Amino acid sequence: MSAFFATYGSMLAEAIIVHVLYVLASVAVGFILGLALGILLSRVPRWSTVLIPVVSIFQTIPGLVFIGVLFIWIGMQPATVIIALSIYAMFPVLKNTYTGILGVQPKYVEAAKGCGMSSIQTLWRVELPLAMPTIIAGLRMAAIYTVSWAVLAAMIGLGGLGNFVYQGVSSNNNTLIIAGAIPAAILAIVIGALIDLLQRKVTPRGLKKEVGK
Amino acid sequence: MIQFEHVCKRYGKTTILKDLNFTIPDGQFVVLIGPSGCGKTTTMKMINRLLEPDGGKVLIDGKDAGSMDRVELRRHIGYVIQQIGLFPNMTVAQNICVVPRLLKYDKERCDRIAHELLEMVEMPYDKYAGKYPNELSGGQQQRIGVLRALAGSPPVVLMDEPFGALDPMTREVLQDEVKKLQQKLHKTIVFVTHDMGEALKMADIIFFMNGGGIEQMASPEEMLENPASDLVRSFLGKHASNNGATAKIETFMRTNAYRVRKDRGVLECAEMMARNNVDTLLVTDEAEHYLGVVTIRGIKLWGKGLPNIETLIVQTPHTARIGDEAKESVDYLLESGDDYVVVLNADDTIAGIVTKTSVAKSVATTLWGDER
Repeated sequence: MSAFFATYGSMLAEAIIVHVLYVLASVAVGFILGLALGILLSRVPRWSTVLIPVVSIFQTIPGLVFIGVLFIWIGMQPATVIIALSIYAMFPVLKNTYTGILGVQPKYVEAAKGCGMSSIQTLWRVELPLAMPTIIAGLRMAAIYTVSWAVLAAMIGLGGLGNFVYQGVSSNNNTLIIAGAIPAAILAIVIGALIDLLQRKVTPRGLKKEVGK
Repeated sequence: MIQFEHVCKRYGKTTILKDLNFTIPDGQFVVLIGPSGCGKTTTMKMINRLLEPDGGKVLIDGKDAGSMDRVELRRHIGYVIQQIGLFPNMTVAQNICVVPRLLKYDKERCDRIAHELLEMVEMPYDKYAGKYPNELSGGQQQRIGVLRALAGSPPVVLMDEPFGALDPMTREVLQDEVKKLQQKLHKTIVFVTHDMGEALKMADIIFFMNGGGIEQMASPEEMLENPASDLVRSFLGKHASNNGATAKIETFMRTNAYRVRKDRGVLECAEMMARNNVDTLLVTDEAEHYLGVVTIRGIKLWGKGLPNIETLIVQTPHTARIGDEAKESVDYLLESGDDYVVVLNADDTIAGIVTKTSVAKSVATTLWGDER
């Protein structure tokens, strides 16, 4: 065990840092994009009948293929990984934002309008806060998926925990595979827990009990 | 003042409103009522432009509502909906202050408004301001819903079946509160309901709508007296026929009163009272004509050694006859403190008695149906 850390310790630490950076960058970009597109889409629900299926189909393209294509196009640089992962991270956020906003009960929107809120005010003060639990659930899904998708970065030689997995597979070294897999799993759990914490912080007391009912 | 001039509204090919014309003067409590699909909610929603007319104009204080900024317009018209719609992500105080904040009032002024309004419905600020809507009962929630509509001091408040989702007891209480608030604050209220009892109780003027037009526009009293059509009459239903002012005494009467002939013995009467657990018997002559009553007190004081009860008979100060208005006798019961009023048939025989209990029973039956 200690021999392993002596040999691979610094490599592992670096791989974890790179991995985390990939995840943070792409989830942040994906979240912002997903949120913005989800809001736009919710303004014109007519488009969603076309767009949501398209998004769903896109989502089924394997990450491997997508990163490969981007690699050919952009080349071997971190941007390739971040762009690919951002787009994948965007999907769940987009979908959840859209369904979350449309899921806000019409009575609240009618009350907001009746009080004299403009549509922007209705969005900010009523629709988004009420959709927030759903949106954060989308974020959680995006972050956890991204942790596993980031393993693909190693495929085009860009590091991260995937390095260990690939090296292990090609050299038939189980220790290396596990050295990549376990930190990735722990990372997913930790990020999930952090987002749950965030979820609890951003959900107003008035909404918590309703969820619990 | 709200005026509708030749207002029309269509959804596709269905005409919802056709050539609607009316004026609502300031400070009036107007109730829109009618069968479902009659256009009452549509009419109301045109006032704050949640819906736009397809033809004609809605004027508010003489200005065409269609030419005003609709967001600005709504901030000056209170709005209460049936589903209450308090924002669950905001506290009670924040919900009340939604409109004041949209109107850019400063924080102190908002706080003062929340304080004053909560005070008005007897929900102490300290106890309730920080609560969330789901921590309140339905009745409390709709109180806050009403306060939210009042917070920007709008001259006009629209209420769309505001108490429809509440239980009957809470509804009564809120009806009283809103009526009181309206009289105190002199708001113009446009109130949609399908409950005639509510309309009669709350309204200064009732607009009875049917098929996109106004069938009758009248005060509650006038509508009760002269319903314009059979439809209006059927809506008035029990409110028209069971109007307390015209109820007859027999409605409230019970027929199983204890009676004796005047030639009965004193002891026999005392025993009869004890057996039936009453303190009074009605006395008749041989032909069953009512003579008066004999009480246990009379028997105790003067009954010793008398052959029969004839000399113990006392007259009651108030008797009624079948066919009399009930009001007089019920008022007498309530004011005199007597326990009963004897009701006689036209030929002076006993028809029955009215007691406070029999009145209460009969009122309960009219209100909630016969549940015995």
